[in-house]
Amino acid sequence: MKKYKAYLLPFLLLCMLLSSCSANRLSAYKKSKALLDTFVTITVVAASQDMADKAIEDAFDIIEKFGDLVNFYSDKSELSAINRNAGIREVRVSPETLDIIEKALFVSEKSGGAFDPTIGPEIKLWDFLKKVKPSDAEIRKNLPLVNYKNIIIDRTKSTVFLSRRNMLLDLGGIAKGFAADLAVQSLKQKGISSGLVAVAGDIKAFGLKPDKKPWIVGIKNPRQKSNDDEIIARVPLSDKAISTSGDYERYFIMDGKRFHHLLIPKSGYPANTCQSVSVIADQGVMTDAFSTAFFVLGPERGLGLAKEMGMDVMIIDSKGALHTTPGLQGKLTIERNH
Amino acid sequence: MQLQDKRRVAILSAYALALHGFESLLPTPIPWLKPGLANIITLVALILYGFRTALMVTLIRVLLASIFIGTFLGPAFILSTGGGIASVIAMGLSVKFFKNLFGAIGLSLIGALFHNIAQLSLAYYLFIQRIEAVFIISPFILLIGSLTGIINGVISDILIKNLLKINDEKIQNVAQ
Amino acid sequence: MKETIKNTTLADRLLFLLLISLSIAGIFISRDALSQGSDVIIEINGKPSYTLPLYSDRLLSVSGPHGNTLIETKGGKVRVKEAHCRNQICVKEGWISKGVIVCLPNKLVIIVGGSKKDQQQGIDAITG
Repeated sequence: MKKYKAYLLPFLLLCMLLSSCSANRLSAYKKSKALLDTFVTITVVAASQDMADKAIEDAFDIIEKFGDLVNFYSDKSELSAINRNAGIREVRVSPETLDIIEKALFVSEKSGGAFDPTIGPEIKLWDFLKKVKPSDAEIRKNLPLVNYKNIIIDRTKSTVFLSRRNMLLDLGGIAKGFAADLAVQSLKQKGISSGLVAVAGDIKAFGLKPDKKPWIVGIKNPRQKSNDDEIIARVPLSDKAISTSGDYERYFIMDGKRFHHLLIPKSGYPANTCQSVSVIADQGVMTDAFSTAFFVLGPERGLGLAKEMGMDVMIIDSKGALHTTPGLQGKLTIERNH
Repeated sequence: MQLQDKRRVAILSAYALALHGFESLLPTPIPWLKPGLANIITLVALILYGFRTALMVTLIRVLLASIFIGTFLGPAFILSTGGGIASVIAMGLSVKFFKNLFGAIGLSLIGALFHNIAQLSLAYYLFIQRIEAVFIISPFILLIGSLTGIINGVISDILIKNLLKINDEKIQNVAQ
Repeated sequence: MKETIKNTTLADRLLFLLLISLSIAGIFISRDALSQGSDVIIEINGKPSYTLPLYSDRLLSVSGPHGNTLIETKGGKVRVKEAHCRNQICVKEGWISKGVIVCLPNKLVIIVGGSKKDQQQGIDAITG
């Protein structure tokens, strides 16, 4: 016993030295900021608060600059310039603006117009807070202005032209996902290997958390009744983005019927075959826009298009039933209270 | 301080430091909640060699540990120092005024209690301004602190007995 | 080991019991306090400036670059009752019991505390 005592101290001291060598402890750091008229939260895994802060602030900057380009409510944005000149002249835009509009056109075409960024004039007729429902005549009157095919793009000149007067381009259904992509790209360029960017409910995650597990995202329950059933399911995200469109975000109920902001571009009325649609794919810009598209297309056609596009989707239909693509089997965890 | 005392402090500090280092390598689910094995050394030093020795051992251990691990002058350092000083003073006063009231376990509990009180207070005033957060975690910290206090107390007790025995043997040997 | 336990004084044992019971009691008390309290945090220019209890009926006027913004809590919800910003996006949000209301021109952010349940269940973000 005595012999071992002699080795005890040196051994313990060795442990002391060894513990001082683990300086590279990675932790997750989270920061939030109000941007794009919503709340953006960025979580990164880094070796120090300093490194995390710098990377996050740069990402916030990028989002802010992009937001200034496509802000529907600001006169100074390129988007407003496009809208002001609808039916008048083409407008020269930055590469990012051109990029997002092209992607919006891509989704519009693929979804047969279920997603249409020119839906601005129709959305304007509704007021979900004051419970204002436009008349059938008013809705019909603006329908001709809703047609993505009237967006004319000239790549060589980097211009966008809305070919009819009073057309309104609204990128709200695709900008947040695009912003999440930009943020993640910025973080990766700054050397961050793992993180999660949440632009409101449009989320993109990359890498693994410090405990080597994937980021977990909860999907909101469209008919939440109390604090306890906020989440209906959860899913791990490994280098993917997720977006959700739901009939509970902006809505009002009148005479027992629910009127919400996800309008069918061809009719101007809210799509009512789904309660919510969550899409998982590589890019946030795609998940954001396609979640609206699948919602409008409904459970069957939406699921079909999702499979065609190679995306995973979870649809909660109007009766509350869950429909998912096969890719989510084994990955989706439905919460206990359902 | 005499040479023998200095040597003692040095060796005890080394053991305390070593225990701290060993402990920090152990995997824990909760990072800042540790058994505080180094406090065993502090308690043993207090009972066998007095307040001054115990205080010096604690201060040296906290200082060197923070330098080695890299948290010197950081928040962890401030909390450790505050906790360490408070606990040594509390235990020292207990020994002085309530000499026969508490055994090693009781003293260890007192040390753990004041260590945690000091840390929670410092954390509140300097770092976490939200009093609700402090109120919520305090009971947990006190509970775990009490449990580790008992364990440390038991180990300290055993150590003290053994060291006293060795001392007695030495004296007997010399006497013979 | 047994010797050590016998060696514990009465004071030792009393102290132990006292501490254990206090901390367990404390845990139950704080649990209670937790489920009732939920705070509305109002940030101006990125800094937390006001905290309102969610479960209270209160009107708070906050001054900003675009005049005074009236924030109201009632029945476990909060809303921007009145604002003088151009787009009124914050007012249009209506009542929320969870989440955020943002008024960018007034540099105002109203945050209703995230549920502790999420953190306990290991969810990193919520979509929807």
